[in-house]
Amino acid sequence: MAAHRLMKARDVPFPLVDIDILDAADEELMQISSDMGLNLSLDEMKTVREYFKAEGRTSTDVELQAIGQAWSEHCCYKSSKPILKEFVFSIARSDILSKGDAGVMVFDDEYGYALRIESHNHPSAIEPYGGAATGIGGILRDVICMGAQPIGLADPLCFGPLDYDGELPPGTKHPRYLANGVVSGIRDYGNRVGIPTITGGFFFDERYVGNCLVNVACLGIVKREDLAVNHAGGPGEVMILLGGRTGRDGIHGVNFASADLTSTSEEDSRGAVQLGDPITKEPLMHACLEVNSQHLITGMKDLGGGGLSCVVDEMALDGGCGADIELEKVPLKEEGLAPWEIWVSESQERMMVTAKPENVTKILEIFDSWDVLATPIGTTTEVPRTRLFWGGEVIFDMDLKFLTVGPVYNRPYVLPEVSSKEKEVFPDLPSDNEVILTLLSDLNVASKEWAIRQYDHEVRASTIVRPMVGRLNRTGPGDASVLMPVPGRYKGLAAAIGCNPWFTAADPYKGGKAAIDEACRNLVAVGARPNALTDCLNFGNPEKPERLGEFREAVRGIGELASALRIPIPSGNVSLYNEAPGGVFILPTPMVMGCGLIDDFRKSVTADIKEEGNLLFLIGETKDEMGASLLFRKYGGREGAVPDVDAKALRTLSERLLDAMNGRLVRSCHDCSDGGLAVATAEMCISGGIGARLDLSGMGDIGILRKLYSESNTRWIAEVRESDAEQFSSLLGNGAVCIGRTGGDSLLIPEASVDLSVGDLRKAWSDPIWKIMGGVKE
Amino acid sequence: MKPEDIKVCVLRIEGTNCEDEMAEAFRMVGATPEKVHLKQLAKLSPSDTRRNLEDYDILALPGGFSAGDYVRAGAIFAARIKAAVGHEIKAFDESDKPMLGVCNGFQVLVELGLLPAIETTMTSVPTAALYNNDSGRFECRPTLLRNDNRRNCTFTSDIPRKKVLMFPSAHGEGKLMSMDADFVWKLEDNDQIVFRYTGEDGEEPEYPWNPNGSVSDIAGICNSSGNVLGLMPHPERAMTRFTHPDWTRGYDTEEGDGRAVFTSVINNLLG
Repeated sequence: MAAHRLMKARDVPFPLVDIDILDAADEELMQISSDMGLNLSLDEMKTVREYFKAEGRTSTDVELQAIGQAWSEHCCYKSSKPILKEFVFSIARSDILSKGDAGVMVFDDEYGYALRIESHNHPSAIEPYGGAATGIGGILRDVICMGAQPIGLADPLCFGPLDYDGELPPGTKHPRYLANGVVSGIRDYGNRVGIPTITGGFFFDERYVGNCLVNVACLGIVKREDLAVNHAGGPGEVMILLGGRTGRDGIHGVNFASADLTSTSEEDSRGAVQLGDPITKEPLMHACLEVNSQHLITGMKDLGGGGLSCVVDEMALDGGCGADIELEKVPLKEEGLAPWEIWVSESQERMMVTAKPENVTKILEIFDSWDVLATPIGTTTEVPRTRLFWGGEVIFDMDLKFLTVGPVYNRPYVLPEVSSKEKEVFPDLPSDNEVILTLLSDLNVASKEWAIRQYDHEVRASTIVRPMVGRLNRTGPGDASVLMPVPGRYKGLAAAIGCNPWFTAADPYKGGKAAIDEACRNLVAVGARPNALTDCLNFGNPEKPERLGEFREAVRGIGELASALRIPIPSGNVSLYNEAPGGVFILPTPMVMGCGLIDDFRKSVTADIKEEGNLLFLIGETKDEMGASLLFRKYGGREGAVPDVDAKALRTLSERLLDAMNGRLVRSCHDCSDGGLAVATAEMCISGGIGARLDLSGMGDIGILRKLYSESNTRWIAEVRESDAEQFSSLLGNGAVCIGRTGGDSLLIPEASVDLSVGDLRKAWSDPIWKIMGGVKE
Repeated sequence: MKPEDIKVCVLRIEGTNCEDEMAEAFRMVGATPEKVHLKQLAKLSPSDTRRNLEDYDILALPGGFSAGDYVRAGAIFAARIKAAVGHEIKAFDESDKPMLGVCNGFQVLVELGLLPAIETTMTSVPTAALYNNDSGRFECRPTLLRNDNRRNCTFTSDIPRKKVLMFPSAHGEGKLMSMDADFVWKLEDNDQIVFRYTGEDGEEPEYPWNPNGSVSDIAGICNSSGNVLGLMPHPERAMTRFTHPDWTRGYDTEEGDGRAVFTSVINNLLG
């Protein structure tokens, strides 16, 4: 290849190639980019050429590889940053303690809590077990490097239908295989590191067949005096590499994550999938937190995307200094790695700390007592450049700003067509008995127990409300999980996932808002006040204007609602290029995790009906909003208005409902989402083992079908004792209407001639995923 | 002797991951727990951090996946304990000091030969095993346990006989088995059966009430002299009512069912 004339191996006792980029013609630049797997565009390569012209020298392979990492979408958010800046970065609040690798919010006077969500989509599509496991490893490190003890994991996942029998795009694996591998990976890594998997979600749709989504979130707790920063303290400090050895696994992971999947991704990119080791991670976690709590370090950051190249550059740049690294000191899994491989490898279970020289011995001692590798590999310097040495030879010498800041693009976008009421086609339906059982059996509603029971969701003995609630071993779906972050204190931290990719596909702006509404109403349903959000934005190829339009609109919705609620988003992650071989793009999927605080978790509320003879109230307005509803998807309805969110209603109703819960007036509470009021009530009967008789006449005149199945946002169903009903009603005002009474062993809705035994409801809801994945159900 | 004078060694290595809540459980009943890495007992840590097993009154082996448990659960940790402090452990046992193993800790006690140790003390080879759950899956779910011990075990003296308690289970290998055909009878005769899984209202514990298919529904056993208890479910996860899975359905005390295991041993040591 012509570009090879520009590449010359340097005469040194290790593999190093000088690339005479100054001399490269444009098409040679592109050849260099593709031959070396840099995934850089022509304009970007030209910028690189200009840089080295100014430096007056040729480049090394290590330098070009480092740029390829730093300028990837994954590392520098070059397509998404302007949009995020415009809509979400601005939400300020005084109780944000940090917006570092994880966000940190005030928990109480003494503690802060950390939150972060991230995607591990492409690795999981290639190697579901390893991809999901290392996804957990990465999110744990993001929380640890804030100085926080991880206390909970959440895993929202999107796959094609588990029983998919259509054609698979070339090179993709069956959803059932992927789901099984991902769940096993989460189980084996999460359970081994001893952090409970407390919530998550499953989203099934054919649009995910070619590109599954594996998002993972983590919560942590940190003494505010121990809050760590993710950069060096200044020049003259020692950089210490911690944890696992460096190998050829995970090379070019960020570039792989920043391009569409192809039919040959498996062959091309298997090496981009890292290998996780929870039993290196577990003591690494202890040791990192120990050196941090003893205040022996000035900064801490994890090695994720881009490996050493990103962590060294960012810690130095943000610390207002540079770095000199002796690359041959890096402990290796195998001999013979080229310097560039060492520099960009994404081998797992590695962290970096910076420390004053006088503390290094103590730090090494602590890591040795945990049998965890700790190796000083360099120092921070006055000059804002990173320099790499190998046996004295300079093999890398670059300006940090140029390298780390990277390009930013305002790419063209077109606003999407949105689903409208005018064009609505309401489907023909069988009897409501049949509809309700069918909706309960839909994989998106049906019990996820098959996965949840494989995750240890109560290790650390601080899980107060679990993902499944109700009677022992005859549980139903919960809304949010509640943790006791500080043993012996009654203050609780709640977490819940919110996302409706179907709403987002039909109307990205409303879908973005709906994700936040769902996260918030899940939190409120257990008695927690929404406090902060973290979002993982999974979208398609931003170089396609339609895809970027969806992204922009969804982010606008998220930003507008979060601002109106004054709920900050101190951390987040963007995953673009989620397209299958053949260009089938995923449903636009803004995955939101909401975090809420509850002053006394003894007042937590769960969704299972508690007693016979109590009243059921519907909180919130049910509108004619059938667009993208589960009912329409199931029975072939088309168009229709996608549920919108009224920020004011969400705020006031949440406050009133929380007041009622604080006064212990609410026995059970469940939010209305997929399948609307009908499915929500059925779920409360299933977990409580108690039936209910509904009379929906108080809901206005939108027709019984819309009352039952509309998925309007900002709605809950609450169980209230008759003796408390008056007080409850006066608190909720016109926000709540009585819709029935608990009791018996059937769900009865006379207006729709619904008469279903709780046993039949449970069976319809419990069996489907067990039937497909195999195993024994509760 | 006061409760705080009782020193508890909560033994850890890489992958033991329930030591925090185990130590917290002993702290909640007034004792003085310390999380000790095996290297500290093996005198392989900095001199100021070294510890002697004999200085402790109770040894607790927490749950987790010690050393990853990539071979038979508990085997690696047990081998490392034997190599490092085998004699001290034997002496600890023969001086009748209490030892508690929960989940992975139970598996370690069996691998160490400290359980079942029928009619003897620590045996040189394991005589039982905790095998893969019948379901073939890791099972994280509540389990109901009945106290079937006849006052031999030092960890259950505060628990009325036949009383049913909720301790959560979370394991993939909890099915107790032995080559010895008369295994269960011998355990029964020596009053070494401590906890059995039970269904609601005392009926036969069909799955999931017996989450692993354990023989005779055994969830926990002690040794002949009753100072060593191993069980799969986690009492340390049920120290308060609010970590019981169904507490929102109503409760009459804020104390959790697991607490009695820890008060029993402390009260016995206080005499």
